[in-house]
This record gives sequence, C-alpha cells and structure tokens, in this order.
Amino acid sequence: MKISILGAHATKFGELWNVSPRALAKEAMENALKASGLKASQIDALFVGNMLSGILGNQANLGSLLVEELGAQVPAFRIEGACASGGLALHNAINSLKAGQYKTVLVLGIEKMTDHSQDEITNALMSAGSDEERLAGATFPGVYALMAQAYMQQYKVSEEDLACVSVKNHYHGTLNPKAQFQFPITIADVMRSAKIADPLKLLDCSPISDGAAAVVITSENIIKKNKKPIRIIASEVATDTLSLHDRKSFTSLSSVVEASTKAYKKAGLNPSDIDVAEIHDCFSISEAIATEDLGFSKKGEGARDIAKGKRTLFKGDIICNPSGGLKACGHPVGATGIKQIVELAEQLRGEAGKRQVEGARIGLAHNVGGSGTIAAIHILQK
Amino acid sequence: MITSPVKLWRRQKNTATLIGKKGKILQWTIIRVPAKSFMDQAPYPVVIVKMQNGENMIGQLVDWQKKDLIIGKEVVAVLRRLRTEHADDIIYYNIKFKPL
Repeated sequence: MKISILGAHATKFGELWNVSPRALAKEAMENALKASGLKASQIDALFVGNMLSGILGNQANLGSLLVEELGAQVPAFRIEGACASGGLALHNAINSLKAGQYKTVLVLGIEKMTDHSQDEITNALMSAGSDEERLAGATFPGVYALMAQAYMQQYKVSEEDLACVSVKNHYHGTLNPKAQFQFPITIADVMRSAKIADPLKLLDCSPISDGAAAVVITSENIIKKNKKPIRIIASEVATDTLSLHDRKSFTSLSSVVEASTKAYKKAGLNPSDIDVAEIHDCFSISEAIATEDLGFSKKGEGARDIAKGKRTLFKGDIICNPSGGLKACGHPVGATGIKQIVELAEQLRGEAGKRQVEGARIGLAHNVGGSGTIAAIHILQK
Repeated sequence: MITSPVKLWRRQKNTATLIGKKGKILQWTIIRVPAKSFMDQAPYPVVIVKMQNGENMIGQLVDWQKKDLIIGKEVVAVLRRLRTEHADDIIYYNIKFKPL
C-alpha cells in the first residue's frame, strides 16, 4: 500500500501570545486541507500529536475539542509520546491506513507553551522523564548535558564543535520566514550565552514555542490528481528505558538506531541515499549524536562533520535541518514531528524557496521523545 | 509541587535501604537553571553513580567542591531534605550523594 501526502501546512512558530490553541489548530488544519484540495467532510479521522495540553492547559479530551475546529465530527485521537508526539501521531495514522480502517486522514501536531511561566514549563517537560530523574533535581537540559559530557570526553569534542550545530541551524533559520529565530549567531555568541547545565549553554538549547502543523495523508491512488505526489515510504518507532542512567551508552540512542535501521530496510535505502533530513535538535548534542545514530557520520565524528559544513545548506552532502531545526525554527513539542514532515514535503516538491536543497528526492524525519526514550523515523520520497 | 503522602510513604521503604550504600561517579553535570523548588540549592551537580551492586542511580551531589567532579570519584548515599516545599506540603527527604 502506498501512502501519499496530499497537503501540508505549518503555522508560524514563535511566541504567539495573540493566538489561542484552537485558532492555531484551525489555521494548520484549514491550510493543509486547502493544499490537499479536500473538504473537511472528506477526511475519515483526525490524529493529534500533543504533549502538554493536560498538564499546562488542564485540557484533556483533545481529539473531541479539535474536531470542532476541523468542522467535521470524525473519529479523533490524541497521541502522546513527549516531544515525539507528532511523529507518533503520524505513525499511528499511517497504521490506520494500512489496516484499511480509513482511507484519508488528517494528522495535526500542536503545542501552546508560551502562555505559561518558565517554572511551569520546566516541570511539565520533566514529566517526560522518570521519578528518579525528577527527585535528583535533574532538568531536561541537565539530562542532555550528561550525554554531552560523556560524548565530549569519549570523542575529544569541544564545546565550540557542539556550538556549530546551533550556528548552522540559526543560519538556516534566516532563510525560513516561519522560523521563531531568523537571525544568525556565531560560535562566540553560543560560548558567551548563560550556562544552563554544564556544558550546555542557552544557545545550545531549543526555545519554548507555540506552533501547529498538519498533513493530509491518503492510501488512495492519487497519481492522476496530483502531479507531484510525495510518498511516505517508511514509518518506524522504537523505545528505550525511561531513564538515561539505566542505559549502557550515554553517547548513542538505541531507539534511534533501531527505528532508523528498520526504516532504511523497509525503504530499501542506505543512509547515504538521504538528501535532506529534519533532525530533532532539542539540544546541540542531540543533532551531533543523531547524525551518527542515523548513519550519516562515523561514531564520534557527528559534531565535527557539522562544524566542517557537511550538514549545511548549499555546501553539505546530507543537509540537516534546512527549516532551522528545533533550535531556530522553534520547538512547540507536539507540533515538531509534523513540522518536520511539512518541511520535507516542501523540500521534495521543490517549493522551499531560499532554503531549497537542490534536487532533493529523499528526506528523513527524526523525532525523539524524552532523553531518547522513544524515536519515530519517517522516510519520504518524491 | 504537592507531594502525595501515599506516594511518599510507598517510596520511603526503598529509600531507607539505600542509606550508606557506596558507588562511583559515572557522569556529572551542574544544574544552573533548576525548577523553582530546587532554586535555593542551585547551582548543584547531578551525578549518575555506579553503585557497588552494579546498578546505576541518578542523584544530586551535596557537600561538594569542584575537585569532587571527576569520573570515578567515590560517593556515599545520604538522607537529605529534598527541596523547598509549599507551606502546607510534606517535608520530603530523599537519597542524595556525598563525596568520600
């Protein structure tokens, strides 16, 4: 069965104080539908990726709430897997098509974070960790900082090398009109920024953001209707222990290795076949490790390859995060996994404007929850 | 953050068995921007400790100096007040680690 993307749309990401969660969702869904040429009544079901609406907004039952904004009383499901909620929603939506239950569904990722204080956000995000981590006074940057320490020691990587991840993604962000941050930064800016959890500094960390993204996917044969169909040729999910400290390695995420290995096999592709990837760079260290776990770089060389420009637009081989990634485009946690798909669809259609990866045919989305406790990998093909 | 008395009571049984157990630092970081309830202790290290029984634990390091932040440093599990509670919350004691 072939799964195609009919329409895709992401809202502006950022501090959207004048927009409600309902309005954000409506904007993403309406525009994705418009792009697909379908009406709400032609959608069989709605899948929603969201992490924090229950904790921050005291709003559960999100599926029922959001079908009101869709304008069609279809079956609706809210799917949660921390920051991988979007990727998980898409995976479940694809499974429903493969099962034959539905033919055409809408997948929405949404998060509204900036309505709440930093302390509320810090606590809410730590709900993705374990009791042991919370009682240790660890924060999310803290958990990734432990990985960064291990990585830097093991592979003799400098803080400046890691800073290059943020510098690259901010450069890409300058080319994306929907990015939260559209200004460049330097290695010195990263090094000067406030320490959050050693060795991670403020500019090693993705921001707190609002945003929504939606895609319409179908199992119907659409070649006649749509000149440039984008296929989703692999969708895989894998998990790992909830706590970082229970793992054998702090410098590789086995969930990512497992899900991507399966995805490459399903797609019949190798890592070197990927032209463009959207990577879950919640912290600079995350992208360095991800490019190794995905097979783009040799173990221990991920950060240095990024520093050399191998993942940068217009000069790299496998371009990572042309959208600006989580760091510059923003990280509304439940929306991120779907935004990655929207970005890849635009790239493969050749509609990415100033940040177009020339000749992009195959794209990979890497969406991670918690400290690598869950990973969703999708491969898209033109 | 209000602690559930039941949850705390259930957890305490295990906490008591850990006091005095030793291990070595496997990895460390210093938390500089914590949650509000840990704010008065910041900056503080969080360490992953390889315990003598082979299990890994994560915990806060107390009574520390910069020279203690090295991999392989021996630490011992001690009982300490966890964080700053809300006025009508239970005072929570938990395992933290102290350099030896």
